[in-house]
Amino acid sequence: MASLSTSSLSFKAPSIQSTRTSQVLRKPLSFQPISFGRFQSSKNLRLQISCAAKPETVQKVSDIVREQLALSADTALTAESKFSALGADSLDTVEIVMALEEKFNISVEEADAQNITTIQEAADLIEDLAQKKPAA
Amino acid sequence: MVDKGQVIRLCRSLLRAGRQLPDYNIREYAKRRTFDGFRMNKNLTDHSKVEKAYAEGKKQLEVVERVVKVYLAYPPKTKNIMELKLH
Repeated sequence: MASLSTSSLSFKAPSIQSTRTSQVLRKPLSFQPISFGRFQSSKNLRLQISCAAKPETVQKVSDIVREQLALSADTALTAESKFSALGADSLDTVEIVMALEEKFNISVEEADAQNITTIQEAADLIEDLAQKKPAA
Repeated sequence: MVDKGQVIRLCRSLLRAGRQLPDYNIREYAKRRTFDGFRMNKNLTDHSKVEKAYAEGKKQLEVVERVVKVYLAYPPKTKNIMELKLH
């Protein structure tokens, strides 16, 4: 743990460390000083972004998606399901994002909303915003 | 020239403005009407029609913002039963 925190301090400087660059670029949000507390946990460095959101969040997002798109109970919804693959157009995506904003009491920015294409991305964004809110 | 991103942004602004309405009925209506309006014009291809629909959407956005201000000045005194959590 101690070695991780010293290496994490070096990441704050803009110098590129090639071996870790791919992992660094994956989660740029973690490298701001504000979320340093979250960065301490080792699993955020080693694991990919797909493991960042809790399964309950993913499940809640899936339920909302299922309800909004009126999917039958037997259509399989995984974390990697794309909204477009489930038959949602951009208006449906807007509706889903609005429903998520209401359910989780968050506010999604324009830019973030455009980038949500899968259930996992939505869950990750929700977790990020839910984390930032108490700090504000 | 109105592009897709602008249309989506207009939709979101309308929904966000509608969310501030204190009255449950009018709030739900605003949400319903926004989606219906955008879905109705979803498949328009004629540029002038798209521009006209977009201009009308902008007008409605102004209407909603005005109505929100009026309602916030005189909010309804009781909550609608749909907003109460009864178990």
